[in-house]
Amino acid sequence: MSAKRNVKDVKLIRRIWANMNVQKTIITITFLFVPLLLLILFTYLPFFKMVEFSFYDMGYIGTRKWVGLDNYIEVFTREDCLNSLKLSGYYLLGSIVQIAIALLFATILSFKPKGSSFFRAALYFPSLICGIAVGFIFKYFYTHGFVFDSIIQLFGVPLDSIPFWLRDTKINNWVLVASSIWRYMGQSMVLFIGAIVSVDKTQYDAAAIDGANAWHRFRYIILPSIRTIVVLNMILSVSGALAVFEIPYVITNGGFGTSTYFVLMDKLAHLNQKVGLASAMAVILLVLILIVSAVQKIAEKRMVNSYSIVSSKKRRRNK
Amino acid sequence: MKNGSMAIALSIMMMVMTTGCNSNDNGSGTANTMTTTYKDMIVGETATDIKAELKILTNRTDLIDTDFSEYIDEFTSMYPNVTIKYEGITNYENDVTTRLTTGDWGDICCIPATVSLTDLGNYFESFGDYSYFENVYELSDSKMYDNKVYGLPTMGNASGIVYNKSVFEEAGIEELPTTPDEFLNALQKIDDNTDAIPMYTNYAAGWTLTAWDSYITGSTGDANYKRNTLIHKSNPFSRQDDLTGPYAVYYTLYEAVARGLTEEDPTTTNWEGCKSQINAGNIGCMVLGSWSIPQMKEAGEHDDNIAYMPFPIEVNGKQYASAIADYCYGVNINSSADNKTAAMLYIKYLTESSGYALTQGGIPIVKGDEYPDFLQSFQDVTLVSDNPALKGEERYFDDINNMSEISFDSDPTHVARIIEAAIDGTKTFDEIMDEWNVAWTKAQENVGVTVN
Repeated sequence: MSAKRNVKDVKLIRRIWANMNVQKTIITITFLFVPLLLLILFTYLPFFKMVEFSFYDMGYIGTRKWVGLDNYIEVFTREDCLNSLKLSGYYLLGSIVQIAIALLFATILSFKPKGSSFFRAALYFPSLICGIAVGFIFKYFYTHGFVFDSIIQLFGVPLDSIPFWLRDTKINNWVLVASSIWRYMGQSMVLFIGAIVSVDKTQYDAAAIDGANAWHRFRYIILPSIRTIVVLNMILSVSGALAVFEIPYVITNGGFGTSTYFVLMDKLAHLNQKVGLASAMAVILLVLILIVSAVQKIAEKRMVNSYSIVSSKKRRRNK
Repeated sequence: MKNGSMAIALSIMMMVMTTGCNSNDNGSGTANTMTTTYKDMIVGETATDIKAELKILTNRTDLIDTDFSEYIDEFTSMYPNVTIKYEGITNYENDVTTRLTTGDWGDICCIPATVSLTDLGNYFESFGDYSYFENVYELSDSKMYDNKVYGLPTMGNASGIVYNKSVFEEAGIEELPTTPDEFLNALQKIDDNTDAIPMYTNYAAGWTLTAWDSYITGSTGDANYKRNTLIHKSNPFSRQDDLTGPYAVYYTLYEAVARGLTEEDPTTTNWEGCKSQINAGNIGCMVLGSWSIPQMKEAGEHDDNIAYMPFPIEVNGKQYASAIADYCYGVNINSSADNKTAAMLYIKYLTESSGYALTQGGIPIVKGDEYPDFLQSFQDVTLVSDNPALKGEERYFDDINNMSEISFDSDPTHVARIIEAAIDGTKTFDEIMDEWNVAWTKAQENVGVTVN
């Protein structure tokens, strides 16, 4: 009786095993196991822990005390948190400049001028250097009387009339934004080049017959075709602007009014042992970035809809 | 079907992970209790056949291949079955604080300032009762809780000002200044009569600025000030009539920067570079602990010119200097009994017979040991070291210190803001001190200490 049953069971298992869907599931799970494990272990678990921490008054070491929403309330009432968010405005403006420059270079380089691969590599190179190294490069670049000042002096400007780039609170944030543009422009550019290359070439010929110049080609063919990438770049730039860390941390260490939200968060967590407060800041930043991305997505959809409506109306009129 | 198996797989993963997380609890079971106490250990005689692999975390990345490897050689000649490995950490305080929470970080580390005295027993093995160490070691009470010592320093630091003698002579400074205003006048003379930068702030390095915090005790001449008086004092950062106390310390910095007696651009100061600069006479002085003297001497040819003077504050006509324990070594409570014994033997060796304090120009820990040369200029100066807090109040200083976000001794930001304000002229010095008072008072209220 039992032997018969065993045989039956084995047959059943074989039949299940032979089923395509079952095999698919097993293979999917096996393949997904490692990446999912890594994702959960290093992204989701720490994230949920951080959310948990944000409700406690705690340091890395010692006892924890549940404080509910106190940390969140404190973030919104602290002057330095709000000030550091204002600094993101500088980087936001910088990111618009960055996208504009990247678009310009991408458009030029995708039409294969002489030496285009060299320039493409040269412009992309800064994104490959580690952020800390970029910080150190620019620290020496801007040191009074060093690289940048020497270049300016070549044009006959005396050293005395050159400002202290990192010390002067009127300009130091712009100076840091410039370094940030230098670092990330190549990355945006490569994304744009990839998108522009995939534009159908026959459209240019058609446009040329209609008498379109370079600007027209860019405005009416390239830009509409790569709109998704532009929006993606904008989302990346906005979240990047809110989360600036390496450049101000290494170059000025947040001194002279350059303490961005992340630099402040690092100080509170590591130097003042206010881990709960810093976690709350991180959660708030995440929510802010999510809101900004959502707004941009919605705006993009609106744009697409109105654009298609306008063009269909035009087409009808032409008929 | 598909979703079901997915859920099972996920729950298995979660289980694997949560068990992984739970396994590193602080297991202070009976298995790793030591048989010999530190007091009874004799280096070279006790347990010479002990087998252990020690890992030591250190902030002195510069000494790993030089002095430390000599110590290892000498120690392992007595203990052939012990191997010792140093791990140098540049961003020491932050990194080690995080690693301590895992329990599995090594056997010996320099205890970071972020561990409150009350928490010491959770992470470190006790060396024994203070009543023993009191009589044989100096400065052994800085990592003590409930009369038990959890960390021992291998040297102490005096806090003063490292300066270049020839620059001071060239500027025409005949007597060392003893008050903040005399000091500022001396800096002015250096500015007027020499090409040197009178005082170098080392603003950019960050951690160098916390040196200023170690003058608080010396500025009052009161061993109880930092850990007992400061926590109960109302508005401790206000100006005192005789220009002593914390106000006077930071006033010196603010005024020096505001009068243009420091480097032009603090954002680009260079810590490694400053050593050869002061050696060559391009810098007049720097406010740093006595540990910096050997480094400044070694950085060039003019080691005779490097000298050390007390911080220019007088309390009732007398000068004081804080004597502070250097980083204290602590032994991991989770290590095995053999590792703990070997670790303590090594620490005992470092403290008593390695000669570390003498070569590093520090105050010796063993009572009666030879003092370094630089302290000759400290003949008329009384060294004071902080008394521990009263029983039951051990947490207060750390709690108020962090809650106020001034964070003396660990966060350089409060000193950096003084330099920034002095350059920009955005805030007067009294305004900054008022801010500190407000933050301190609020923290005192939150912690719930009596204020008088």
